[in-house]
Amino acid sequence: MTLSQRLYRASAWLFPAIAVALALCLSFVMDPYLAFLGASWVIFGILGLSLDIVWGRGGFLSLGQTAFFGLGGYLGAIAAVNLAPVIGNTLLPTLPLAALFGGLCAGVLGALIFLARMGPLQATILSYTFTLLLWSLTQSLKFAVGKAVVGGDNGMSGIPGIVIGFGPHARALPPNGVFAVCVIVAALAYFATLALMRSTFGRVVDCIRLDIQKTELLGYDVRRVQVVNMAWAGAVAGLAGGLFALWSNYLNPSMFSVQEALLPPIHVLVGGLGTLAGPFVGALTIGGLSFWLGGGVAGGQTTLILGIVLVLLVLFLRNGILGAFDQLWRRFLPDPNAAARDAGEVRINVGDLDRIMREAEIQVGPAKTLSTDRVFKQFGGVIPVNNVSRSFAPGRPMALIGPNGAGKSSYLKTCVGVYQPEGGRVMIGDTDVTHAPIFRRVRLGMGVKNQKPQVFGALSVYDNLWTAAFARTRNKAKAADVAGRVLAMLGMTAQAAVEAQALSHGQQQWLDIGMVLCLAPRVVLLDEPAAGMTNEETRELSLLVRTLARHTTVVVVEHDMDFVRTLEGHVTVLHQGEVFTEGDIDSLRADERVLDIYLGRRQHV
Amino acid sequence: MAPDFLATVLLSSLSSAAILLIATIGLAVVFGLMGVINLAHGEFLMIGAYTALTVTQAGVPYVLSIPVAVAVTMAIGALVEVLVISRLYGRIFDTMLATWGISIAFYQLAVLTFGTVSPGIGMPQISVQIGAYSLAVYPLLMNGVALAMLGFVYLLMTRSVYGMKARASIQVPEMARAIGISSARVNTMTFALGCGLAGFAGAVLLPIVPATPSMGFAFVIKAFLTVVVAGPVTLTGSALAALGLGGGASVTASFLTSVAGDAFFFVATALLLWRYPLGISARWRRKL
Amino acid sequence: MKKLIVAASLAIFAGGSAFAETKIGAIFDLTGGLNIYGIQQNNALELAVEQINAAGGVLGEPVTVVGYDAQSELTKYTQFTTTAILRDKVDVLFAGLTSSSREAIRPIVQANNTLYFYPSLYEGGACDKQTFVTGSSASQQLDVLIEWAIKKYGPKIYIMAPDYNFGTISAHWVHEYAKQYGGEVVGEDFLALTVTDYAPTIQKIQQSAPDFVVALPVGANQTGFLEQFAAAGLKEKMGVVSTNYGSGNQQVVVSPAAGAGLIASQGYFQVVDNPANAAFVAAWTAKYGSSEPIVSVAVDTWNAVHLWAAAVTKAGSTDIAAVTAALESGLSFDAPNGTVTIEPGSHHLRQNIYIVEGDANHSFKVVETFEGVAPAYENAKCDLIKDPTIATQFTPEGM
Repeated sequence: MTLSQRLYRASAWLFPAIAVALALCLSFVMDPYLAFLGASWVIFGILGLSLDIVWGRGGFLSLGQTAFFGLGGYLGAIAAVNLAPVIGNTLLPTLPLAALFGGLCAGVLGALIFLARMGPLQATILSYTFTLLLWSLTQSLKFAVGKAVVGGDNGMSGIPGIVIGFGPHARALPPNGVFAVCVIVAALAYFATLALMRSTFGRVVDCIRLDIQKTELLGYDVRRVQVVNMAWAGAVAGLAGGLFALWSNYLNPSMFSVQEALLPPIHVLVGGLGTLAGPFVGALTIGGLSFWLGGGVAGGQTTLILGIVLVLLVLFLRNGILGAFDQLWRRFLPDPNAAARDAGEVRINVGDLDRIMREAEIQVGPAKTLSTDRVFKQFGGVIPVNNVSRSFAPGRPMALIGPNGAGKSSYLKTCVGVYQPEGGRVMIGDTDVTHAPIFRRVRLGMGVKNQKPQVFGALSVYDNLWTAAFARTRNKAKAADVAGRVLAMLGMTAQAAVEAQALSHGQQQWLDIGMVLCLAPRVVLLDEPAAGMTNEETRELSLLVRTLARHTTVVVVEHDMDFVRTLEGHVTVLHQGEVFTEGDIDSLRADERVLDIYLGRRQHV
Repeated sequence: MAPDFLATVLLSSLSSAAILLIATIGLAVVFGLMGVINLAHGEFLMIGAYTALTVTQAGVPYVLSIPVAVAVTMAIGALVEVLVISRLYGRIFDTMLATWGISIAFYQLAVLTFGTVSPGIGMPQISVQIGAYSLAVYPLLMNGVALAMLGFVYLLMTRSVYGMKARASIQVPEMARAIGISSARVNTMTFALGCGLAGFAGAVLLPIVPATPSMGFAFVIKAFLTVVVAGPVTLTGSALAALGLGGGASVTASFLTSVAGDAFFFVATALLLWRYPLGISARWRRKL
Repeated sequence: MKKLIVAASLAIFAGGSAFAETKIGAIFDLTGGLNIYGIQQNNALELAVEQINAAGGVLGEPVTVVGYDAQSELTKYTQFTTTAILRDKVDVLFAGLTSSSREAIRPIVQANNTLYFYPSLYEGGACDKQTFVTGSSASQQLDVLIEWAIKKYGPKIYIMAPDYNFGTISAHWVHEYAKQYGGEVVGEDFLALTVTDYAPTIQKIQQSAPDFVVALPVGANQTGFLEQFAAAGLKEKMGVVSTNYGSGNQQVVVSPAAGAGLIASQGYFQVVDNPANAAFVAAWTAKYGSSEPIVSVAVDTWNAVHLWAAAVTKAGSTDIAAVTAALESGLSFDAPNGTVTIEPGSHHLRQNIYIVEGDANHSFKVVETFEGVAPAYENAKCDLIKDPTIATQFTPEGM
């Protein structure tokens, strides 16, 4: 590995560490006025970081970060005003409380948004409304807590500065000291976030952004992860708010204003979305620019300029300063996706697969049946699933066929948990999962492969498999073991480091299937797995399905009759939402009635 | 409770809902047909109001200034769509951010161009007496205006070629493309239509709400929430949401306090979104 | 230690030139939603300084202005106040319009012991050694207005106020003075600043059937109330009085039908008739034209600059202690709004309060002038001669 590569790998912590050291050195010599301003830019960097966590990583554009910033600031300030005369130090009571409160509020809003499974648009608008609502509410909100007076629109004044000494005689730090403290707090927030984002939690957060449905199909409780991530971001915003209160000695509802809410997205976009360090670069750039523009009476069009800057950023500089720098640097590094070009045809090694499935059986128990009892689903006047009772058992592939609109797909979605049925029951083994969320069914042994390949494009092939394996094993070493063997079985060892999005369509399908295998599923649901595959790939797939069916329950929804024929399994025909007939494929092929519905002949249409 | 008070409360709450609906339809059209929330909607409303005001001040009768306002906002809307929105197709967060930036820039431009004080044109001084209470007539007229707007959009969507194409593009996009409907053209038209409806709203509400750079802001929060609660079914959904939320808030404000009215609006929104995370009309089969 | 030396040397270096001239800092909203006030405040300040310099400056030196645009954003006040004091080392600061801007500035001027003038009408009660207020307070205006209105219209009062400090504190004073002058508050409604639909309020007003309404609309959205009120035909049935109508030239925004007959009370209106005002309006028109009527905060700023200059001349120095002492000596000045006198204890102005009536031409005519109205509440609560350490904003009990 070259020095450049090594530096690139370490860049997320190395360069920020250098910047922190540099800033701390500068804090000794810089002009106090510059230190005063610089401290505010660092604080806005922390606020931007909080947005980058939910948006750049979590994939949800929250316009509510300034709300958590303000709420944290207010509560922290109340603590500071009351406790500073007693203990002196203002950091200890203010910052943890501010972070806690910001996190709590974000967690509650996040729970409302994510537990209800709101759409992204609805969620963003709701977070924006939350901020605006606070803006108008706090204008008339007046109360006192001890010595702290929250004075509505007149705000809250008399907040002590940053005091690090203890006792009643401890004095507030001068601007240079304030700057240094802000830099240290920012460093703590940044490195803690970086560590979190590099943990398995951060991996799941990334996966949710890339493909939330697939993440849940791996058995991760995505909603819980989203709420926790939002709460963490809220805590970081609250921390910034507490620091801001001590910096400005004064708080006012304008913390919740539109102009204020505008800043974090701009800082994040300028610096680089999803980079975590970007918001700091952005805040520094914009802070400096805004100060330069608004410094005199002459050019006071900061708001206008920022509005236009936001539009231009969205249009032309999607990746921000750090993103552009990253792209440039990567051009001089060896291409990790080069190996994708050497990938050959996938050959399923039946022996390997048998071994993997036998071990899975030892680890997670025998195969389970999937059964539905008079399950019923209705959309307005359309009834795509009409009292279907079926039980699928292991031994041989179970195929589900029927003409277009027969309700195959709806039935499958009801089994998976995408649709909630109006009547009937869905069982995995002996467990009633009719109203269970998707991830719970997956944890009970369900494995699902949808028609289109669902892989996490920005992650490497190995990481895709590992993430799937970890969802089941909850153990890093075991997950690595499982992922390594599925990788070998797929014959993709050489492509382990390739980004999944660089793979061909067919290879992505295999990777997706590999991820399902990593779950050691007790019931496998495959939705038109042969769609878009070459003849050779279809043959391998058929082999895989047949091998799999020896160990576990396999349900295949398919309308490619030739493929179904090669499976040599049991076939159920659905028609107009109901079970039409069943049997093996040859007897069905001889059945005039089946031909009728496929060809749309009169009698049965 | 005196019957005359009850009657005035109901009548004026109906007008409140109508005003909210007037301010919302343009937003709902863009959301329903393009899946985009135009955060600059309030500023288009403001531009409509200023256009109507400027034209009226130049001596044109107020009624004739309304079509001018619609034309101006449609033109600006089309320009914004071509220059900005069309480049962000499929990136809904970026679209929202871009329209947000536009909204702030427009607001500031309005401050620069018009200052913060412009003369109002006043409301027609006609009132009706119900028992001991009198009601201004102009807000009552807004009920008719709201119905007319709904009817116009309905006819446009069902009877015009553009409407057919727009609905086809949203319902079966692949098919629409396959039969040669240019989705870019339709989107430009839809966005311009949404902005034009906002401009119409600004102009027609001008007698009630004086033109100021920040006037859009007063409407948009409730308009956003109405649209989000309404969900994808443009006309029926937003009419129902405006009636329930706006009318309910107004009734609450009449019997309790203004703050209670606002509280009703926001609490009802939160509850509805909790129950229907994609809007009340997300599962409806009708599409208009 | 090293840090201290560096900081000290920087301070000496930067401060070296500060003695050569008298610098005043001006922070107003020149852009953004509040610039209707901010531009006029800044214009008045420039005009006053120009006049002072033309007459030889203060202490024989011309005064220089360091101006900042707060852009109607509160955080900018914090930033620029610090800039003015730390970097530009101004001798005195004239700044702020909204109460929140004043509250953002006060802690910083207190910490740095810098003289500060707040030139705006407001809800009242601000009290500290460094701050001087040249606008009228809510109680100062409402005292005379409520007494006058009860006599004119009758005792039953309805209050329509924005739901924030100015509105709620003003409403408190309406209650107080209603009691004092034999009136009765029959209803009140507090409205969010973004409300545009006043139908519920108008119904409640009709339900309570008052003799007059105290309307305190803030911002242009709220002037919509007056339109809707007039269109509902209520103007014939009851009076409308206000302490802030006209302060932002609302009479230009509302239609003549809604504006005619409205009663407003403030410390200044352009129509005030006296020689000082005639000269002031002439100088203003010559420099800035007459497209917009001059608002009261402009005159408050003008008065603040002149009072400061008079105090510096009297003290013979720009030293804050000396200037404060001179200001507290009961300094008086023949201002465009009549004679204004600094109350030594409260740092507020004793000044005229005018009651005016809107006409059909977007303008006013003076109905009655109350001479030398004292800021009674501030005088009662705030005595900075007796206790110079007070630094708070007094609010009526229970507010």
